[in-house]
Amino acid sequence: MGTRKYRGIERKQARWGFIFVLPAMLFFSLFSFYPIINAIYTSFFDKRALSKLPPKFLGLGNYIRLFDPSRAASDLSFLNSLKSTLVFTLGTFIPLLIVSLILAVFISNLSSNKTKKFLQISYYTPAILSSVVAATIWMIIFDPRGLGNQWLNALMNTPGVDRRWLVDPVMEQVSTMVIYFWKYIGYFVILFITGLASIPPTIYEASTIDGATKNQVFWRITLPLLKPTVVLVSVMAMLQCLKTFSTQYMLYSNGAPRAPINVITFNIYVTGIQQQYLGRASAMSVVLFIMMLLLTLLQFKTTKSENVEY
Amino acid sequence: MKKTFIVVLLIALLLPLSLFAQGSKATAVDETKPVTIQYWTHEDPARTQLETELIAKFMADNPNITVVRSTQASVKQIELVQTAFAANQGPDMFNLPIENQYAYITNGRVAPVDYQAAGYANKQDLLDKYMDGVLDTVTVGGEVYGLPLELTNWSIYLNKKVFRSAGLDPEKDYPKTWEEMADISEKLVIRDGDILIRRGFDFRYPYYLTFFVPMVEQLGGDLLSADGKKAIIGDEAWLKALTYMQQWGPSGRNLGSPTYKNARNLFNQDNNDIAMAHTGLYQQGRIEKDNPAFFNSGEWMVIPYPTFKDAVRDVAACYYGHFFMVNADSDPAVQKAAWKLSGYLLSHGEEYLTRGGNIIQPTKALFASDTLKNMPYSQVFIDDMARSHMIYYGENSAQIQTQIRNAVESVMLSGVSPEKALATLRASVQEIIDEQ
Repeated sequence: MGTRKYRGIERKQARWGFIFVLPAMLFFSLFSFYPIINAIYTSFFDKRALSKLPPKFLGLGNYIRLFDPSRAASDLSFLNSLKSTLVFTLGTFIPLLIVSLILAVFISNLSSNKTKKFLQISYYTPAILSSVVAATIWMIIFDPRGLGNQWLNALMNTPGVDRRWLVDPVMEQVSTMVIYFWKYIGYFVILFITGLASIPPTIYEASTIDGATKNQVFWRITLPLLKPTVVLVSVMAMLQCLKTFSTQYMLYSNGAPRAPINVITFNIYVTGIQQQYLGRASAMSVVLFIMMLLLTLLQFKTTKSENVEY
Repeated sequence: MKKTFIVVLLIALLLPLSLFAQGSKATAVDETKPVTIQYWTHEDPARTQLETELIAKFMADNPNITVVRSTQASVKQIELVQTAFAANQGPDMFNLPIENQYAYITNGRVAPVDYQAAGYANKQDLLDKYMDGVLDTVTVGGEVYGLPLELTNWSIYLNKKVFRSAGLDPEKDYPKTWEEMADISEKLVIRDGDILIRRGFDFRYPYYLTFFVPMVEQLGGDLLSADGKKAIIGDEAWLKALTYMQQWGPSGRNLGSPTYKNARNLFNQDNNDIAMAHTGLYQQGRIEKDNPAFFNSGEWMVIPYPTFKDAVRDVAACYYGHFFMVNADSDPAVQKAAWKLSGYLLSHGEEYLTRGGNIIQPTKALFASDTLKNMPYSQVFIDDMARSHMIYYGENSAQIQTQIRNAVESVMLSGVSPEKALATLRASVQEIIDEQ
């Protein structure tokens, strides 16, 4: 009797849970799930944007073309995009993770609340800008006559030197990393600050009584207890980097060469929208999806450990 | 509980698929019913003002027709129209550059001109009104698929003050060859170390089909063979043109680069940061609007497109056209109304020239008119057009332009040798041609 009554209440509560979750599920299925299924389906066909003819079934033809070694020599190939994406992701993700953690620890240890708030707002402000606006601001800075050259030349006492921010292949990649880093560092600093705030201060007090040094406190207490936040930030940062597009698009639209910054998302856009090969673009997006899934699973696996408790 | 959840989840996930299982659009035949024309075009403030007035008059004369005019930036317009058509939601009437528009004809996306609705007795009457050959680009299978909104070519605008500041006489010392262009630019540039503060001239990046292919043609090369089956003809010509661009860029004589601000945008401001810019007759209206003092000062002029010293052909920069086209999937009554609107708008050629953005409609009447002849330096544009040809247009012309851009920028900016860039360009353009 008691169990039946309990099940009845549980069902009633669960019903309301379904009702609240249903709009989000519908939204997800319409704007995420359906496009994903459609992309996977389209990737098996030679579908062109403007063609009215039924698309030709290619099977794995689009995928074979993407990984065809004979195309590797082309700067605009998918294999080159994989390389560009890897370079950008490693060059941005690692500094983002490390620097945001260091800044968060630094800000958390400040005694003045006013200074804390000021720094948090300053770091976070770029995150609320759209990527297009952020790229536009930095393109003005990276213009040969812009502040980028002026500041660096003043600092290094090298008047008149053009660093070729948007011209040299390596500098162009560095420029995109700088823009991305500037835009997202504050977001991850806030996440780390939130994580740090969740660590009970009594643990720090106990460690002080036990005579732990600042170094020991950071490595033995802060970092282990921050593990869940580190996992969250690293997954989010990595996925953000893999999905980068607006920065590269804006630079290319304003004259920068495409090859060094031809990341996968940009290649998808050019292939599907500009060149009209929707089937090929869909295959690229499926490959990117699988990459992101595998990397996320790998991250969860490598950071998986028992919860640290003191 | 679990079963219920799974059922609800499946329904929620599969529901959107059913929303997309639509039938085809119904087609009505009644031509007198009220219709709405969705007309998409690119931004141009002067032309917007004129067309808004003309459309208002058109709607007053045709009470059953409503016209909704939407504008986008020209680059965005290309992508938006294509995306809309890919989703079978294209506008009823639109215009794009022909190199982007030709694919709509070959894919059956646009309807042939309704000659009577557009105000012509028949096809021959239409052909007789326009300059010879202009409608060839939109004629497929004997039918004409577009009406020209504009035919545009670019010549070189020159700032006389900047020339004089470098001790040059603009009337005599302007560049007639590409070699002179480089040498004169060298005299005109002002640098702070490597950084260009003032450029002499810079190219109209990234429109390589328009300005770079003619440079190759001057040297005896071609984009495609006569039968259109082989890509990149005349290696020597291509290598010389690529080497010229390599020398122009930051790694060579450092006279300009695609990463500096667009020359034509700087020219109007007369801020002593550019001496020459490559642009069309329409630029005059923009100079007048942005800087009336400069426009009226007499301190600018237009010079012909240069040729190489040892050119084997005298070819100016390509001209390109924008054509009004009508969506083949629109309601037949809407199609008819759209052609009627097109014909009405295009019957005001002189107004488009004088106050609609200075655009040239390639009609025989306009080319013979005093209105065109009296526009400052119009003869330079007319003469350049006479020694030019239509830009390469094909199903994949936009793709080919992307490959040429990659080749030129790789030699200018990335240190790739012209030989390697040419080999890559040939392979990629050949692949595009083979797939067509």
